[in-house]
Formats: sequence, structure tokens, C-alpha cells
Amino acid sequence: MNINITGPRVFWTAPWEVPILGKFQLSETILVSWLVMAIITLTCIILTRNLKVENISKRQALAEFIVEKLDNFVIGNMGERFRYMIPFVGALFATSLVSNLISLTGLRSPTADLSTEAGWAIVVFIMITHQKLKTNGLGGYLKGFTEPIFVMTPFNILGEFSTPVSMACRHFGNIFSGIVINALIYGALAVVSSAILGLIPGAVGAVISQIPIFSVGLPAITSVYFDWFTGCMQAFIFSMLTIMYIAVEAGDE
Amino acid sequence: MATQGLVGIVPWTLIAQICNLFIQLWLIKKFLLTPIRNILKQRQEMTDAKINEAEAAKTEAQAIKAEYEQNMKEAKEKANEILASAQKNANNQAEEILHEASQQAAQMKAKAEKDIAQEKKKAVNELKDEIGDIAMEIAGKVIDREVNEADHEKLIDDFISNIGNES
Repeated sequence: MNINITGPRVFWTAPWEVPILGKFQLSETILVSWLVMAIITLTCIILTRNLKVENISKRQALAEFIVEKLDNFVIGNMGERFRYMIPFVGALFATSLVSNLISLTGLRSPTADLSTEAGWAIVVFIMITHQKLKTNGLGGYLKGFTEPIFVMTPFNILGEFSTPVSMACRHFGNIFSGIVINALIYGALAVVSSAILGLIPGAVGAVISQIPIFSVGLPAITSVYFDWFTGCMQAFIFSMLTIMYIAVEAGDE
Repeated sequence: MATQGLVGIVPWTLIAQICNLFIQLWLIKKFLLTPIRNILKQRQEMTDAKINEAEAAKTEAQAIKAEYEQNMKEAKEKANEILASAQKNANNQAEEILHEASQQAAQMKAKAEKDIAQEKKKAVNELKDEIGDIAMEIAGKVIDREVNEADHEKLIDDFISNIGNES
């Protein structure tokens, strides 16, 4: 009995070598990301087909509901002046959510790869820093590092970088731990299956004990938490943190 | 099959995922946000238009009502005027008729008086003639026979009584 949890598989490696970045590898993460994007985009297209002004279909009502909720989410937390953030937050939330939930189909979530979250966190970090510079100016931004006293500067710089790191690791950790725990549960249930069914004497027991019958049932229940709940929660938290960090740096109007 | 590290950052994947995020952003904007916003805007415009239309219709109705009321008022005034003038005319006419009647009556009275006066004059003249005749007669009678005292007196009495009877 051995449980094997691996990183994302590599389907194709580019023959050329780029300095610093190394060879390009078409990994499972990237492929599934494309699938996620296709799913989201197709959903959008289906939802917005045959839009009408009056007598709207349920499909259109759902699409309008989603847009309205997204607007309220962003504007309610950031204010009207951050209207331009709506598409970004929407994309971030949708990608994160579908990426998390796609693990239900047996595919490996792109969010179970730290590179994904790191990429998003870098984008958010740049946005936060941009907002800080916009609010305080370069002098104010640099001065902010020496507060409350000069000695705190190294810690402030560390704290600055801890924001994206914590965001990325929080999201990654939750999704990745879900994968690990699921693998452990499946492994354990297979062991239990073979141990109990192996008690059946003769050839029948030998055959049946190879089938992890106990794997049916319990993982579905644990998956409600590890896939559904965590998946939705982390997508929400990541979007919410993005919004809050930027809104806080913008200060009051 | 080769795998990447379980926990680690692969630069290429990181770059690809950043790109994917922004492509996704564009796709969502193009296929969800823009169409929905357009439709919401259209609906807003339609609602506004309907409200404006209703507002205009209301204003128009009010204008028509005001005009109607104005017309009614004018008509009433006119009717009153006509009535008043008719009354006035009637009064005038009545007065005129009365006036004319009284004038006519006065004329008739004057004429009657004149006629009476004339008749009287005529009668007096006739009387005078008759008195003359009688006097002549009496004179003849007196001359015809001898007149005594008694006759004389009787004659005078007859004469006077004759005058009284005849006048």
C-alpha cells in the first residue's frame, strides 16, 4: 500500500532553454486552466444568448443576477470609484471557483499548484502597491516603511511581502490539503476494504479484496467539505482580500 | 510521465497563469459584463422613455383640461352676457312701448279736449243764433199785440225758462 501524491504532470517540454525561466513545460496546471477558461467563457456565452429587454428568460435573469451581485460585491466594499475593478474581481473569483471545483471531476485543480496562486498574488501585490503610490505618492510610500520608528523598516518591508505570500499560500494550502486528504482517505479505505474483504476465504475473497468497495460513500461526504466548501470559501476569501487590501490603501475619499 | 514539484513555483506556469487571468478578465468582460450592461442600459432607457411619455401625456391632458375649463368659463360668461343684454333690451322695449302708449294717450286726450272745446264753441254759437231768433220772435210777438203788465212778466219768464230748456 503506497499513496502517491505528485505535482502536476508535464505533457510536453519545449526543446529550447530560456535563461532564468528554464524550459517551458506544458503542465497539467496550464491545460486544466485552459479548460477552466473554456468552461467560464462558454457559460458566459450561453447565459448571455438571446438577451432581451422585456420578458427575460431564466437564463438571462441568472446572468443579470450574477452581474448585479458582482457589482454589489465590488462597489459595496470598495466604493463607486473602483468600478473598474469589477471585471478583474469577477475574473479572479470565477477562475478560482471553477479551478477549485474542477477537482470534483477527477482533474487536478490548477489551484493545487502554487505557481497559479503566486501569479495571482503578484498581480494583486502590484495593484496594492500601485494604489499605495497613487494615494501617498512615492515619498509617502517610502516614508510608510519607517513608521512608527526607523528601526521597524526591515519588518515593514517583510510585512509588505507577506501579504501576497500569505494570500497565495492560504489558497494553495487549502486546496492542496484537500487533495492530500482525499488521497489519504481513498488509500485508507482501500486498505480497509482489502483487510476486511480479505477475510472471505478462497478465491472470492482474493478477488473482492482487490476492489476498494469502501471507497464508495465516505469520500463523497468528506468532499462536500474539502472540495465544495473550501473551494467556494477560498475563491471568496481571495477575492475579498484583494478588494479589501486595495480599498484600505486607497483610504477615504 | 514527468511531474513538476509538489510544492513550488514554476516560472513558466506562473507567467502563463497571470496571462490566463487577464485573458479570462477580457473574456468575462466581453461575453458577460458588456452584454448584460448593455441590456440593463437599454432597459433603463426604455423605462425612462416610458416615464417621460407618461409625463408628457399627463401634461397634455392637463393642458386640454385647462383649455376646456377656460372654454366653459367663456361660454358661461357669454351666455350671461347674452341673457343680460336680452333683459336690457326687453326692459328698454317695454319702457318704449309704455312711453309711446302714454304719449298716444296724451295725444288722444288732447284731441278729445280740443274736440269738446270745439263742440262747445259750436253749441254756444248755435245757442247765440237761436237766442237771436227767439229775441226776434219775441220782438215780433210784442209788436203784434198789446203787452200788459202780466203778459210782460210772463213773457220774460217764458223767455228765461226757454233759455234754460234749450241750453
